[in-house]
Amino acid sequence: MQTESLTINFGGLKAVDEVDFAIADEVVGLLGPNGSGKTTFLNLVSGIYRPTSGKIIFQQEDITGSGAHVIRGKGIARTFQTNRLCLNLSIIDNMLLGLYSKKKSTWWQAILQPKQCRKELRQNIEKCLQLLEHFNPDLVDKAYDPITSIALIDRRRIEIARAIVGNPRLLLLDEPTAGLNSEETTQIINDIGKIRQGDQQICMIIIEHDMNVISSICNRVVVLNAGKKIADDTYQEICKNEQVQTAYLGG
Amino acid sequence: MQRAAFASKNSLVTLLVSVLACVFLYFALVGSLFVALTVIGLGLALIVFGEYMGKAEAIHTAFGEHRILGIAVLIMFVLTLPFLLKGNNYLLHIVVMGGIYSVVALGLNFQMGSTGMVNFATAAFFGTGAYTSALLVTKFSISPWLGTVSGLAAAAFLGLLFGIPALKTRGYYLSLVTMALQVIFTLMIINTSWLGGPNGVPGIPAYNIAGFSFKTSVVLFGMKLPYQANYYYLVFAILGLAVLVAGRLYNSHVGLAWNAIEQDEIVAVTQGINQTKIKLLAFALGAAFAGLAGALYGHYTSFIGVENFDFSISLIFICMVLLGGMDNVLGVVLGAMLLTIVDEKLRDFADYRMLMYSLILIIILLARSQGLLPKRIRKYGKLRDSKIEPNF
Ligand SMILES: Nc1ncnc2c1ncn2[C@@H]1O[C@H](COP(=O)(O)OP(=O)(O)O)[C@@H](O)[C@H]1O
Ligand SMILES: [Mg+2]
Repeated sequence: MQTESLTINFGGLKAVDEVDFAIADEVVGLLGPNGSGKTTFLNLVSGIYRPTSGKIIFQQEDITGSGAHVIRGKGIARTFQTNRLCLNLSIIDNMLLGLYSKKKSTWWQAILQPKQCRKELRQNIEKCLQLLEHFNPDLVDKAYDPITSIALIDRRRIEIARAIVGNPRLLLLDEPTAGLNSEETTQIINDIGKIRQGDQQICMIIIEHDMNVISSICNRVVVLNAGKKIADDTYQEICKNEQVQTAYLGG
Repeated sequence: MQRAAFASKNSLVTLLVSVLACVFLYFALVGSLFVALTVIGLGLALIVFGEYMGKAEAIHTAFGEHRILGIAVLIMFVLTLPFLLKGNNYLLHIVVMGGIYSVVALGLNFQMGSTGMVNFATAAFFGTGAYTSALLVTKFSISPWLGTVSGLAAAAFLGLLFGIPALKTRGYYLSLVTMALQVIFTLMIINTSWLGGPNGVPGIPAYNIAGFSFKTSVVLFGMKLPYQANYYYLVFAILGLAVLVAGRLYNSHVGLAWNAIEQDEIVAVTQGINQTKIKLLAFALGAAFAGLAGALYGHYTSFIGVENFDFSISLIFICMVLLGGMDNVLGVVLGAMLLTIVDEKLRDFADYRMLMYSLILIIILLARSQGLLPKRIRKYGKLRDSKIEPNF
């Protein structure tokens, strides 16, 4: 995936300003002070916002301005900064939503229920359960529980699982450790590490504030400040970068 | 051994609850207003008490395991009801109307219960079905069956049109737009003379099969049944089909996508749900249900007028879904049946009818704000009993 001078204006504010970004087969950390446009950048890439100007290219295809559902269908999945699961649905229903873009059954097949439609549902359920088991085996027995009844860390896990269950090519994680304590942070980071082991095809963009996390899982770091990209390098080099330091220390 | 005992307990629970439900419905139907209200109150108390004791989930599970048994009891009840009512045509008429309204409410539930789009234009869809079929049959003398199919199609098309605003507006704004559309529909009918204007469309022919008109009474198993019984069986066959379709949609990716839109549109679209398509589907399918019911209504009553399809009727449909239970197929049918019965029993009150009706509605909703049978967690049976492997 790559972007070419990607820009979005909110009124007069350039929340993302001429950002050139590229990700190959790797894990990229997205850094920057609060309000620097990180979440907005993910919203642009995942199709929630339409850019004011610039281009988004994914697998040699221009996807600028495509709807969010189309982009998901092409293999870009995401999580949200504030946990966004469907609270009055069960764990398994939330997971099944993650396979929606893969389903082949149409609405009239949902009514007529031909054999392959029922089979697809069973297969999807099994796929979801296997992935849940991978993250936290307890969740399999609780598959019919409503989301409201489970702990925050498990909700995070389910949100990540929902994003990857359809085998996306690019995964966008918006502050996966926000609101977790240090022990839970370690667990989630472990889980994220497992994703790469399980599927070497998948690349990721992770927004994260914790430098230890960044240094341990990211191949490369991109830093945004006031919507502009100010650095794009390995973690070690970023630490030495003066511009980055001033941005963080009150630039 | 223990498993078997457990299973039979659940089947007993299913049997008991479904028979009880039928008995309650029967007495609510045949009794006076006082009896009907007592029975409804008792049923309501039982539901609230059951939920309070934490038994509701167990009953729900039991039903899930023994669906066939529950369905068999209900079908037996539906088949024998005309005989239990001893061919009383007034009571049969109430049930026929309840069945017709149930189909409409099931359709509205797609938009309102599943997707969270409160639509105040359902009566317009109902009317579109009725007028399309009635006019085609009276003016071009096509078969009422064909007219009914046309009514369904016309309403579905109108549903698509009315659904377009739903793509741009949500919440209160969407509701407001649907109210405006409903008012436009009513005014358009009143002011168009070839639609019958304020005089309505009289003399709508009845259905017939191979020369047998639905308006003739029949003798079945030695009992003379009024012509309403023909419509009763027709309407309930269609209602059964509607329940089947609605239930399947609810349990499929379509119902799930509707729920996701209701919960959080941003999440829904980032999971790959085409919001435009799925919202229009809720409108078109819901309208198709209403249109089908509308056509049936016309060929049953043989007269339709604009007052059968105005804003107040839309409100009643909304009340049916709210009272029965949002996004619960059985609940919606129960709500439609009960409100139709109560409405009829209140006829003696003449001017105070609407007042009483509203009062009863308020009391029930105060006792149970989530509706009689609220939304439940979607069940797919035992999750891991198959040897199925994921295919990717
Ligand atoms: N929908 C929106 N409308 C107006 N301003 C927005 C919108 N979304 C984000 N912004 C603004 O864009 C800037 C970047 O926000 P955001 O991307 O959330 O920052 P970060 O995730 O880096 O903390 C902020 O100043 C924010 O107020
Ligand atoms: Mg953010």
